[in-house]
Amino acid sequence: MRMSLNKIIQRLLEYATIGLFILILATFGLLSPQFFTLQNLINVLIQASSLAIIATGMTFVLLTAGIDLSVGSVMFLAGVISGKMVVSGAPLWLACIIVLITGIVYGFMNAFFIYRFKIIPFIVTLATFYMGRGLGLYLSDTRAINLPEPFLQIGSAKFLGVPFPNVNMVLVVAIAHIFLTKTAFGRQIYAVGNNADKARKAGLPVNNILLSVYLICGFCAATGGLVAIAQLGAISPTFGIQSEFMAIAAAVLGGTSLFGGKGKVFPGTVVGAIMIQALQSGLVMVNADPYLYPLITGGVIFLIVLIDSIRHKERIKHRRLKVTV
Amino acid sequence: MKIKAFAVFVLVIFTGCNPEKDGLTIGISFETLQTEYWVASIEAIKAECKKNNINYLEAVANSDANRQFEQVNNFISRGVDGIVIAPKDAHTIIPIIKAANRANIPIAIYNRLPAKNKGTFTTVVADNYEITRSTVRFMCDQAKATGKKYKAMILIGDLGDINAVNRRKGFNDAIAEYPDVIELVAEVPTEWNQEKALAGVTNALQAQPDINFIFTSSDFLFPSLVSALKNAGKYHIIGHEKHVLLGGFDGDATAYKMLVDGYLDADGVQDVYYECTAAVQSIIKRINGEQVEDIIVDPGFVIHQDNLKTMSKKMWGANIALKEGLNN
Repeated sequence: MRMSLNKIIQRLLEYATIGLFILILATFGLLSPQFFTLQNLINVLIQASSLAIIATGMTFVLLTAGIDLSVGSVMFLAGVISGKMVVSGAPLWLACIIVLITGIVYGFMNAFFIYRFKIIPFIVTLATFYMGRGLGLYLSDTRAINLPEPFLQIGSAKFLGVPFPNVNMVLVVAIAHIFLTKTAFGRQIYAVGNNADKARKAGLPVNNILLSVYLICGFCAATGGLVAIAQLGAISPTFGIQSEFMAIAAAVLGGTSLFGGKGKVFPGTVVGAIMIQALQSGLVMVNADPYLYPLITGGVIFLIVLIDSIRHKERIKHRRLKVTV
Repeated sequence: MKIKAFAVFVLVIFTGCNPEKDGLTIGISFETLQTEYWVASIEAIKAECKKNNINYLEAVANSDANRQFEQVNNFISRGVDGIVIAPKDAHTIIPIIKAANRANIPIAIYNRLPAKNKGTFTTVVADNYEITRSTVRFMCDQAKATGKKYKAMILIGDLGDINAVNRRKGFNDAIAEYPDVIELVAEVPTEWNQEKALAGVTNALQAQPDINFIFTSSDFLFPSLVSALKNAGKYHIIGHEKHVLLGGFDGDATAYKMLVDGYLDADGVQDVYYECTAAVQSIIKRINGEQVEDIIVDPGFVIHQDNLKTMSKKMWGANIALKEGLNN
């Protein structure tokens, strides 16, 4: 009886995110008739694309019980480098490739310091967060870089009728989902997140796995940045600020545990990103008091983190019960 | 012999390598350099220092109030003659003012009015409320002249920033004077974030497709605003029947370019040169024992299509744009 009660609680906690998501959609749907229009749905999906891509990378890192605070700086730095290149006449495709390389290099730098010098990820990525932003500001002279029209055209382009940001999101999320659920590498990431020492003793290449997740995170940050820039048409000195927190929030809202070893990119993180965007969209739709925005957004994030914490406790309790049985 | 050589070496280190020995030295501390406005400001303060043969030390706190406090303490221990500071906010500046007062060093607060306190200082600040109100009034007059009714939207900055709050208040008070012409249908909080501005404007235009009057609390959000308007098919030159009345605040290079291209109706400009000159001059006056006002208000000005040629010389963004040939 006790086991079944535990299972019920776990199930309820498991679906808390989806429940909250439906509640948010229903509330705004009732308050604003425009909220459920097809165009608004498309807008929310487009706006959530960049965040979903960045949060996908963040999910890989969180699954290993790590954290990457530098993603906003990667977005900014990669954007500044590509923006400078395009403005000075370099071809667009080359700038896009350089953006992605910048992300990967940044991810490698994070991983290198974390696992070569055994510094905790929080400190390393906090340092690279400042370094990236500082370098970006230096390169841009703290000036906004207005991108030429072709860059904006990418943002509004469509592939088989699907907007470019969504195509990118689907591609990144699909690949990440397959990686995590269908490959040995994916299972190893979960194993490392659950217990790195046990994984090491089991012969898993823990350092290589950790290196890979930071590379993936850097790559996703750069890709997400590219998607955002293509819609904005300009890179201001504040571009990417607080994106790391939004990415963590999206992943956690989607059920990824901050304690590692638990979470999914799809539907989890994607739902988290869409939920954040739907929340923002709904608040604008009902013309809410601007002071309510942080209160409501913060409240939802707090609720989910609280549920994650309870879920984590239940999981540990459940494991202990299993061992004693 | 060795001791003598060492003594000479130490003497050289502490005297010969100190470039701030001759004349006055001012410590310049900025909360951030993350927008064009702050960069233009610090450059203007440095230029004013050079003009007056004043040495300067620089520090940027990267939005960290504690770090800024430490930087100012460092200035004080290095014996600066005055401090010009752009503080993080209205409250964290108070201990900094106290520290400067204790050390008997004149301090000028740039661009943000401190919360009420008993310290001695000079604040140089743009009249965010009045500049915004004048700008929006101008836009309202333009709207009224068309005989049409307008649906308005404002992009609000960070609500923890007193300047953003005053700009919102100035906007609201201005449109309240035109109840028959302007109806406020959307307030989009941006937290001074480009991406949030883009998403917010897109959503607001979705909810209220008839919006045809938009004011942004800072010019640096214009790229997001323009992008959203283009996507909605609403970005048209002044005179076009579907033109959306646009206004902004700051006077940056993007706003200048939009004015020149004929897309922007009005922009409230902070007179950076006036403010920076006033800040440095207040320090000089206090050092010389002269009387200085506690608050020096920059009245700013509104720039629009009719006065663009005459007023652009005073617009800091115009100078940046012209220097760069309007290419970027």
